[in-house]
Amino acid sequence: MAQLMVGAFYNPHLGQELAQASGIDHLAMADPPRADDLWWPRIRERYTLLLHDYLGQLSEPLDERAIARARSLAELYHTPWVAEHFQCLHTEDGTYNLNYVFPPLYTEEFLERFVANANALQGRLDQPLVMENIPGFFDVKASRMPEAVWLRRFFERTNAGFLLDLPHIWLEAHYHGVDPKAFLADFPLERVVELHVAGVEPDRDLEGPWIAPTEPSQEMLDLLHHAIERCPRAQAVTFDAFSPSLSAEVLQRSVARIRAAL
Amino acid sequence: MNDRAIQDALIRALADAPFRTSPDWRDQGLADPSRLERFARFLARHYYYERLIHFFKYSRALAKVTGRTPETVLAGTGFDALLGDLVLGSRASAIAVARLAADHVRGGNGALDRVPYLDDLVAYERAMMVVESGARIWNDGTGAEAIKHQWSAPIRDEGTMLIDFAYDLPLVLPFLLRPWTDVPQPPRQQIRLLFSRSPHGRVSVARTSTAIDTLLELADGRKSLEDLAREAGLRPAELQATLEGLVDIGAVRFSHGS
Repeated sequence: MAQLMVGAFYNPHLGQELAQASGIDHLAMADPPRADDLWWPRIRERYTLLLHDYLGQLSEPLDERAIARARSLAELYHTPWVAEHFQCLHTEDGTYNLNYVFPPLYTEEFLERFVANANALQGRLDQPLVMENIPGFFDVKASRMPEAVWLRRFFERTNAGFLLDLPHIWLEAHYHGVDPKAFLADFPLERVVELHVAGVEPDRDLEGPWIAPTEPSQEMLDLLHHAIERCPRAQAVTFDAFSPSLSAEVLQRSVARIRAAL
Repeated sequence: MNDRAIQDALIRALADAPFRTSPDWRDQGLADPSRLERFARFLARHYYYERLIHFFKYSRALAKVTGRTPETVLAGTGFDALLGDLVLGSRASAIAVARLAADHVRGGNGALDRVPYLDDLVAYERAMMVVESGARIWNDGTGAEAIKHQWSAPIRDEGTMLIDFAYDLPLVLPFLLRPWTDVPQPPRQQIRLLFSRSPHGRVSVARTSTAIDTLLELADGRKSLEDLAREAGLRPAELQATLEGLVDIGAVRFSHGS
């Protein structure tokens, strides 16, 4: 296994703390740096940066504007890979937008769309593309195959890397009443380049747990330990929290606990 | 119906509360209604959390003197009461949620004594949030479909807003986001600001000029460029430069050819 980097997301409100922190190897960038971010030059100089912005949904081809933006951010960050999500969150005509990650139907038609558009995007990038799994809170009857099968077929046809979001796996297993480790076993772990780890908290609307800007539980860290042994190509583990309510203490303690769990 | 259309229906059901209860959706039986409703409510709270954090960031920076953080309203009964009517991204929903936040921020004890421009500030933030709402272009298509303006009959975009303020807010806003001890104060000076949004969703705020005010008043989609130049008293080059700026920020579009 390659040397594993352990990092977090860049949270601009924690710029000062991150510029001075130790024990963090990389930062994932969910948004471009703001022009008034005084800490950005030091962050850029100090860290390996991973492009994890919203580039577009691959159910449709990315247009020239989106590709130019992706290339520009990749160059700015010197990112080793470019991450996007298996998501389809706005309608084709742009009228409705969920503004939150939401998976496509797991069907042949969507597989064809994602494969074609991911291959086209890869042809325009100078870095490898990695794709992140997205949890479903409910099953949709129009889906035709298990998520893990759909993902495996996608990776076989694109040779893209897999960004394995473990809390997403944990949540899906939880809401389906199955063991997370057993649920994980079906996913193409040999393709994993990066893993995400995060905390979960009870949500009043969902009446159950969901991702939150808190520390990962011991159960989540155990799942990480279990997963990483099965991901021979993994290069990075990222504490996946990006929120104005996240504190520097939680971020730094989470990264340290993730490192200790590996 | 192809799979993309089914996905669109699913996205609409999650975004549009009235549609969610309609027979058009329910009869499709695509998902468990209770689970879908719970996820839709979660999404609504998240959607407006992100917007309140972004557009009400100045009020948030003042919370240490007003005692009111805007996003608090999302956990309250006022927001719960809206959930059955919300359509994520619609103007009506943006107006309703922005009003909740503005009323909450203004309601702090003695807030106006320490922040005399608070009414102006929340009006500014409300305008930003409202003008951002509405359908947007996510994808320009391939190069062959690039937008070309035919400089025919400009029309003011229906979302564009012109608002008068008693304080020169743009002068104080950057200082609110930096560390401060005494509340930063703007000069008391009447200004008019233009709020607009580009088709791709970029929100702009600009000071207006007499030329801009006049053009926005006259741009009804029927007047030609010659009519506008004559009625606004602008030279052709001046008219074109002003219109190009207004088109770029989405305040004006063209009734034909764009």
